[in-house]
Amino acid sequence: MSYLKSHVTLILALSSILLTIFLFTIFNKILKLYEKNIVNNYSLVIVSTSKIENLNYEEIDSIKQIDISKQIEKMKQEYKNIDFSKIDLPYFYKLKLKKFPSPSELQIITQKLKNKPFIKRILTHSSSQEKIYNLLMLLKTITKTSMIITSILGFLLIIKQLEVWKLLHSERMYIMELFGAPFWLKGAALFKIAIIDSIFAILITLTIIYFITHSIIFSHLIQSLNISLEINYLQIFSYLFIISFSISLISSIIVVMSKK
Amino acid sequence: MLIKAKNLSIAYKNQFVIRDSSFSVNEGDFVFLTGISGSGKTTLIKSIYGELKPYGLLQIGPYDMSKISKSKLTKLRRHMGIVFQDYKLIPEWNILKNVMLPLFIKGFDKKEAEKKAIEILKKVKLSHKIDKFPRELSGGEQQRAAIARAIIHNPAIILADEPISGLDEYSASLVMELFIMANKMGIAVIIASHSLPTDFNIKYRHFHIEKGKVYELS
Repeated sequence: MSYLKSHVTLILALSSILLTIFLFTIFNKILKLYEKNIVNNYSLVIVSTSKIENLNYEEIDSIKQIDISKQIEKMKQEYKNIDFSKIDLPYFYKLKLKKFPSPSELQIITQKLKNKPFIKRILTHSSSQEKIYNLLMLLKTITKTSMIITSILGFLLIIKQLEVWKLLHSERMYIMELFGAPFWLKGAALFKIAIIDSIFAILITLTIIYFITHSIIFSHLIQSLNISLEINYLQIFSYLFIISFSISLISSIIVVMSKK
Repeated sequence: MLIKAKNLSIAYKNQFVIRDSSFSVNEGDFVFLTGISGSGKTTLIKSIYGELKPYGLLQIGPYDMSKISKSKLTKLRRHMGIVFQDYKLIPEWNILKNVMLPLFIKGFDKKEAEKKAIEILKKVKLSHKIDKFPRELSGGEQQRAAIARAIIHNPAIILADEPISGLDEYSASLVMELFIMANKMGIAVIIASHSLPTDFNIKYRHFHIEKGKVYELS
């Protein structure tokens, strides 16, 4: 019973750590894609008295002139008494940024643009931008915090497991040591447990991952965020494999190395 | 010379138990190490198998035990057989596997190790108990299994700490017979015991510990 219990504890701890790492990675990926989406849809509008070819600011990805001919035509129809040819019409530009800016970064960009004498107005849509930015930051913080908490709990479980292992295996390892057993032989039983438990933990985590990523809620979420998320299961398996084996083998090495 | 001690002192729990002692043990010697409880018999045995670091010279084969590295100690222990009062058999292994342990360590393949273990278990009259676990055996049987484990790899020396304490007379005499058998195979035997056995008819050496000093009695 205690043997089974000790297996369950390690499998549970490893699975929770692996699942947390996966969720953190996938949420980060979703957030990044979503952020990219927002950046693509977000732009500053500037009104300039002269033509702008280029603005050499590192934050700016591209500058594109807004075609206002249709609006002018409309205005010409509406205000027939105004001679538009005599008016010096300003130039309108759409500025795309390299990344979604924080409110303070947006302020810096605005200030830089204001310093140009030919730029008369800047439209930043700052209030909605700030809301989206804050929401993104909140989501990132929640994901990070939950990953840290779950990982700590997972590691606490592993530490507890190490103590159980020490009790269960120290006598045998001591006897083997007295007969000159090499390190790998002393720890053979533990290494075997570590490998078996790792495989179980990976299988459990992969099953949970499969169900999560194929759930209706998840696909609705991805659809509603308007992003295309590609999940490489082989890549996930590889890094879960490396993490799981590293944690369990390091844990068993600690037990073998610690003196009775 | 198998063991050479010169001005040897050994501390246990920050107190010197063995003080400034000199002695030697040769290949094939049969040695009884006697002394009252707490005299330092176990401390000396522990120092010989490298569990306690000695002061002064304690040379086992080519190794100086005060300076021996962990890897060399591991190698040295492969040439030793240790027998304890509490047998120290691995509880979750059956008797056959327990006896095979030193051969696993020496890198024997399973079939060969099994064959040798069955042979030696026949010699210690435990061939009918090879599948049993230590908890299913009597004290005397467990000690015979422990001796089988100690001699299976043909060590240069067997160290036995109070091997017959707690055994009935019949089991004790059987165990002593096994030590004699091992000695006849050329293995040096050191037995720590409260007293000398009453009827013992092979040549042996007698070391006695008193007030921290190891004396050889003739």
